Amino acid sequence: MFKDITLGQFYPADSVIHRLDPRVKLAGTLIYIITLFIGKSFFMYIPAGVFLVSVIILSKVPPSFVIRGVKPIIPLIIISAVFNLILTPGNALVSFWIINITSEGIYMAIFMIVRLLFLITGASILTLTTTPTKLTDGIEKGLRFLTVFKVPVHEIAMMMSIALRFIPILVEETDKIKKAQMARGADFESGNIIKRAKAMIPLLVPLFVSAFRRAGDLAMAMEARCYHGSEGRSRMKPLVYARRDFIAYSIILGYLALMIVLRVFGI
Amino acid sequence: MELRAENIVYEYDAGTGYAKRALDGIDLTIREDEFIGLIGHTGSGKSTLIQHLNGLLKATEGRVLWNGRDIYSQGFYRREFRGHVGLVFQYPEYQLFETTVLKDVCFGPKNLGLSDEEAESRAKEALAMTGISEKNYETSPFELSGGQKRRVAIAGVLAMRPEILILDEPTAGLDPGGRDEILGSVARIQKETGSSVVLVSHSMDDVAEYVKRIVVIDKGHIAFDDKPVRVFSHIEELESMGLSAPQITYVMHELRKAGFDADTNALTIKEAADSILSCLNIKIHGSAD
Ligand SMILES: Nc1ncnc2c1ncn2[C@@H]1O[C@H](COP(=O)(O)OP(=O)(O)O)[C@@H](O)[C@H]1O
Ligand SMILES: [Mg+2]
Repeated sequence: MFKDITLGQFYPADSVIHRLDPRVKLAGTLIYIITLFIGKSFFMYIPAGVFLVSVIILSKVPPSFVIRGVKPIIPLIIISAVFNLILTPGNALVSFWIINITSEGIYMAIFMIVRLLFLITGASILTLTTTPTKLTDGIEKGLRFLTVFKVPVHEIAMMMSIALRFIPILVEETDKIKKAQMARGADFESGNIIKRAKAMIPLLVPLFVSAFRRAGDLAMAMEARCYHGSEGRSRMKPLVYARRDFIAYSIILGYLALMIVLRVFGI
Repeated sequence: MELRAENIVYEYDAGTGYAKRALDGIDLTIREDEFIGLIGHTGSGKSTLIQHLNGLLKATEGRVLWNGRDIYSQGFYRREFRGHVGLVFQYPEYQLFETTVLKDVCFGPKNLGLSDEEAESRAKEALAMTGISEKNYETSPFELSGGQKRRVAIAGVLAMRPEILILDEPTAGLDPGGRDEILGSVARIQKETGSSVVLVSHSMDDVAEYVKRIVVIDKGHIAFDDKPVRVFSHIEELESMGLSAPQITYVMHELRKAGFDADTNALTIKEAADSILSCLNIKIHGSAD
């Protein structure tokens, strides 16, 4: 079931978006999300949509893949749309029991759906076009100024990249242990909640044991190669901005300016 | 008792862009009191195949019959069936979870609905067969050595008294001593319980000494299914599949090439040694005359 989640998954392709410096993509995603919240009208979402679609086309990620990443979030979108639909005050169009559906509610619900879809698609384009390693590199370098305030930026980035790296391994391990216990007659499917919770013990104990074992092995392997945190650590592939990164920054800033102008003039 | 796999085809991630055909038309029948070696190169489909034999994976095509009955037919009780066809996964020590060795081994029999006493007596019997001494029954399984953990895990499946016991690469990651101990225990279990055993391995040396039938699997197909001696005579085909005949077979072939009357069908070190001694005797005898 975990295999269906493409959110947070990398899609290998050779595109200009893939080649952008991860810091540009991180900043771009952040700015894009901000502009979605600046947007107050459908009209303002036209440039946002154009921006998003252009990035998707440039990234060479098949649209079907992008859509698959949105699927797991659909229940969330529906819930928030329903709340907006029934809880927005205004001219009641239909009303029964304690529920009032207003024209403002319908407008808000559709607006919410569009906003959330844009938000999630935008965020998933970041992870679809950036490997976890590059992403954490980008976060580390982009946030390095925080070390002034004694924030262990390198360590946090390292922990993030290790955690990301281990997700598929743990998923596979869960599947293996589950099958091994089923071969011993374990039953994970039937019974009431308490019985099912108890049935998880033979799955969770070995999973934790193995996670700790792996963590211990990894720590040992890192120490054997003299890893000692960020101090004095150099990189094999340091992040360096290229011309395309500056061009991308200009486009992103131009887009931000456009959205601010639209908002200020209240279109 | 008969377990039959008919024309099994299995695809991982079927229906997606990454579909991978791991099994491509497998026919295999396991009967009473057999000792089978299932051999194949890494990735040939051994682990995938054995998961079909106890209903953990459902074939894309084909069927699995237990005493003539399709294991996916209506009303077939698969959980109980897994007690009849016991499967020990690779690195089974990673599935231990209980607070004591004895409790862990009881997990299987209890899942079959046996009483606590009955489960315990079966567990003790299984632990004795795998060579775990009584003083370890109340220790935590996590405190045992690697080889002991593995034997406890094997006992965990054995305690269900399966009619067919399948072990996936039980010697993986063990030193030669641990390897011989495990293989020796498995051979003894086969003899004492009379149940059929399927020993999965990528090495002929693991199984040559013990098994009576060898099934060679290559790229999801069964390449050979015959007596060990006959399978080993196909050295070239085996090598093209990334496998090799046992070292002894190579030694005997070389000796024969060098003009000795060595027995190329020798399977164990003892048989080989006897054959070498006897041809040396003749040689020494001949030159003395
Ligand atoms: N969970 C899985 N998902 C996708 N492909 C798999 C999975 N498990 C095994 N495979 C593939 O199926 C083939 C057979 O694997 P397996 O049965 O594990 O081989 P063996 O046990 O002989 O080494 C291999 O090519 C392997 O890459
Ligand atoms: Mg395997």
